[in-house]
Amino acid sequence: MSDFLQYTVFGVMLGAGFAIAATGLVVTYAASGVFNFAHGAVGMTAAFLYWELVVHDHVPVPLALVVVLLVVAPLFGALVERVLMRRLHGASAERPVLVTLGLLVILTGVATLVWSPTVTRVVNPLVAGTFRLVGVNIEYQYVITVGLAAVVAVALRLLFFSTRTGLALRAVVDDPDLLAMAGASPNRVSQLGWVLGFVLAALAGVLIAGTQSTGVNIAALTLLVVNGYAAAVVGRLRNIPVTFAAAVGIGLAESYVNSYAVPHLAQNLQTDVPLVLPMIFFFVALVTVPAARLRAVGRLTTVRAQRLVGARQAALSGIAFAVVVVLCAVALAGDQSNGTTVLDLAGQVMAFGIVGLSLVLVTGYAGQVSLCQFAFMGIGAFVMGKVAGGGSLLGLVAAAGVCGVLGALVALPTVRLRDLYLALATFAFADAVATGFFADVHVFGSGGLTVGRVVLPGLSFGGDRAELLLVAGCFLGCAWLVLALRRSLVGRRLVALNDSPAAFATVGLNVPATRVVVFAVGAAMAGLAGALYGTVEGVVGTSDFSVFAGVIFFLFVTTWSVRSVGGALLASITYVVLANVWDNGLGLFAGAGVILVGRAAAGILGAEPLQRFAPLASRSTGRSGPAGEALGADSRAAEGAFALGSEARAAG
Amino acid sequence: MPGVPGVPGVADGPAALVVSGVSVRFGGVLALDDVSLEAAPGHVTGLIGPNGAGKTTLFNVVSGLHHPDHGTVHLFGRDVTALAPPARARLGLARTFQRLELFGSLTVEENVLVGLESTAVWWHRRHRRRRQGPGALDEADRRRAARAARILAEVGLTSVAGVQASTLPTGLARMAELARALAIDPRLLLLDEPGSGLDRAESAALGDLLVRLASSGVAVLLVEHDMELVMRVCDPIHVLDFGHVIASGAPAEVREDPAVQAAYLGAVPDGVGVAGGDR
Ligand SMILES: Nc1ncnc2c1ncn2[C@@H]1O[C@H](COP(=O)(O)OP(=O)(O)OP(=O)(O)O)[C@@H](O)[C@H]1O
Ligand SMILES: [Mg+2]
Repeated sequence: MSDFLQYTVFGVMLGAGFAIAATGLVVTYAASGVFNFAHGAVGMTAAFLYWELVVHDHVPVPLALVVVLLVVAPLFGALVERVLMRRLHGASAERPVLVTLGLLVILTGVATLVWSPTVTRVVNPLVAGTFRLVGVNIEYQYVITVGLAAVVAVALRLLFFSTRTGLALRAVVDDPDLLAMAGASPNRVSQLGWVLGFVLAALAGVLIAGTQSTGVNIAALTLLVVNGYAAAVVGRLRNIPVTFAAAVGIGLAESYVNSYAVPHLAQNLQTDVPLVLPMIFFFVALVTVPAARLRAVGRLTTVRAQRLVGARQAALSGIAFAVVVVLCAVALAGDQSNGTTVLDLAGQVMAFGIVGLSLVLVTGYAGQVSLCQFAFMGIGAFVMGKVAGGGSLLGLVAAAGVCGVLGALVALPTVRLRDLYLALATFAFADAVATGFFADVHVFGSGGLTVGRVVLPGLSFGGDRAELLLVAGCFLGCAWLVLALRRSLVGRRLVALNDSPAAFATVGLNVPATRVVVFAVGAAMAGLAGALYGTVEGVVGTSDFSVFAGVIFFLFVTTWSVRSVGGALLASITYVVLANVWDNGLGLFAGAGVILVGRAAAGILGAEPLQRFAPLASRSTGRSGPAGEALGADSRAAEGAFALGSEARAAG
Repeated sequence: MPGVPGVPGVADGPAALVVSGVSVRFGGVLALDDVSLEAAPGHVTGLIGPNGAGKTTLFNVVSGLHHPDHGTVHLFGRDVTALAPPARARLGLARTFQRLELFGSLTVEENVLVGLESTAVWWHRRHRRRRQGPGALDEADRRRAARAARILAEVGLTSVAGVQASTLPTGLARMAELARALAIDPRLLLLDEPGSGLDRAESAALGDLLVRLASSGVAVLLVEHDMELVMRVCDPIHVLDFGHVIASGAPAEVREDPAVQAAYLGAVPDGVGVAGGDR
């Protein structure tokens, strides 16, 4: 009995922490209509800053709290709104989401640079010590957390319902025009939303960090704050009381599961399950909260002409590409950089390029934001390493097959989710797979998993050169597939589905089935890419397929252009080169890229100046003739050449 | 010239559409209240009513995008109340949208192609194309391209076939929606204010097209604020107000109906292109 009470007290405390995090998210969303993916990272950064001040610089706790919670967090929130978010007004709806993802990887990147992960940092509870009450040990930190959550709840309640500002906050998303007429400035209200959101994120971060007795970890802390996301989703990103209740419920559930169920599990699961639990809650919340109750969020579509690549064009680009790859393979066999052969790098580029192509299909054509392609990639590498002792052709097929099936299984419950919610669900899935599966000792473990090179009967791809040709061949095949699909009725259908699901259904096409199939095909491609990556690298580890790496890669693709093969290839080159030159800086570049691209939904390759490169590539406008398709092909030619040039440069 | 349809040579078969006792409630608003009406092949049936009367809601119920709280929908004698939109489309139902729902990133021609290909399968064979070299179209593709061209010509969009749909002005966009609807070869066609954004000549051409369609045996249900167009091509006409059918009958009867005149008080019953507030 007293055990139960103990777990209950702990659960309520956990839930209170989540509640603070979740309400911050809700306030920002309500005021600005933007879901802040960086919320967890803000909390993490605040906690590290707090550690820096208190432990490193010996600043008194109260002063440190004031600095972190009342000076830095609000200023940062206001700055983010003013500098990053405000200029995105009226841009297509995925842009703010991408920018907050960019902020997420920037903050984790900066934190990694400033606070080296090799040092153990323990953030002490605000007040140490415990007291006993009816046979239960209660830490003062628990009381403080619950108390602060209550204060936050009451304060927000008062703010929302007893002040003019609160009224404006509630009105701003419903009807910004009305708000403007009533004299309140939507910008000011939205800024207030970001400020409050950042303060609450910081508070949650500092409190949750205080419960991490073995020290704080950048990724773990960032994702811990994500716990609040599930509660926010149950509250439909709007309803603060429901969010609070859900947060406490989730806290309790986590506490009970961890205390009662987990000790009975197998040894390795005992460490995995507590880590995945939050993401499982999140995923379940996303797929079970009735669709009708979820407020329609902006559509992540980019209404822009898609330039078709003619079959001849694709064939010529492919041949040119193949020639370049073969020349590189011949010329650069021995070259080394940082202990990796250049051929190895080129092989990595091809493997990640295939992941990029899967994004072109899933996100670029069908408009489904998938943040879990790296999870499929990792699973593909795992399958490759396990099937037939690794390094068999069968492994490649199995990797694609397993991931295809898994992709369909992930897509089935999420098909009715669009845009933001799909992005969140795939993020949750990616994190669950990375923390719960890849990190397991039986999967990649500490030493990584050895994946051999492919050997066919009588034909070995053991050498770097042959290996590169194999991977490049697969890339070429996938690129051809993606381009051919776009020209075919399948491609037209995917784009149509993205543009208008309602019209798609009323011309007689099946929306859910189409979504599931395209997601599964994308997953299969990512799985194949992972298997190939494994053969290039020889050994793969947990860190290769982390959630953050996946987000970073996704951002690179959208920055270059998520709708073209060139974009996928350039993103892959950028990713591989930076990862080998300055691994820790990846997030900074990815974030900076997406921020610089700003409102331009089509990415760098879709930018007007580049379009004008090709002499005939004037975009068809209102009155021009029906020759758009032919003209489009030419502008793609320029793009293809551009991509190939960069590839040659990177490889040389 | 009132009452064109009822075309000779087209037997009045069973009603293409039978809506019976349909009610839809949005929170406090009863958008449709026990609505019953029919549309027969060979006729352009008019559905008019002031803004907010529930016309678009009825279209959503008929096409399966919205489930009614009460009532049933029969298409071609079959109860489709529980069927999803694609299944209804396969029975021969097509519609256009008042708030345009074109596939904006595709060209006008591609919009039509998506409709034409709606019954084609994903793994549609392409080996013939390869044998004939790149760029060659296979037989099915060629047939569809020809049909797309015919449909576009019919609605007067040939000159903008290659234009990205999202860049079209409203009038042309409505015609593109009509073209896409025609592409699935409908037996029942629901048109939600196709005439708004058209000039007089275009509107007249649209009227002729609708009459032609009806005479080929299609059942057309037309929601339109342009009374000139409605009175010219529709017979019968149903009038909806606050979710109720307040009148049904031939154009002349409906025009003289006191309840209809009361409902339109303030609106202009014979105005051309009365504001059709897109929602
Ligand atoms: N999704 C919805 N949620 C809530 N109310 C709705 C919704 N759709 C329609 N309504 C309400 O139902 C009523 C009927 O709307 P509907 O769009 O069907 O009218 P309409 O006859 O098409 O009008 P119009 O001529 O302006 O197009 C209106 O009061 C409208 O506000
Ligand atoms: Mg309407």
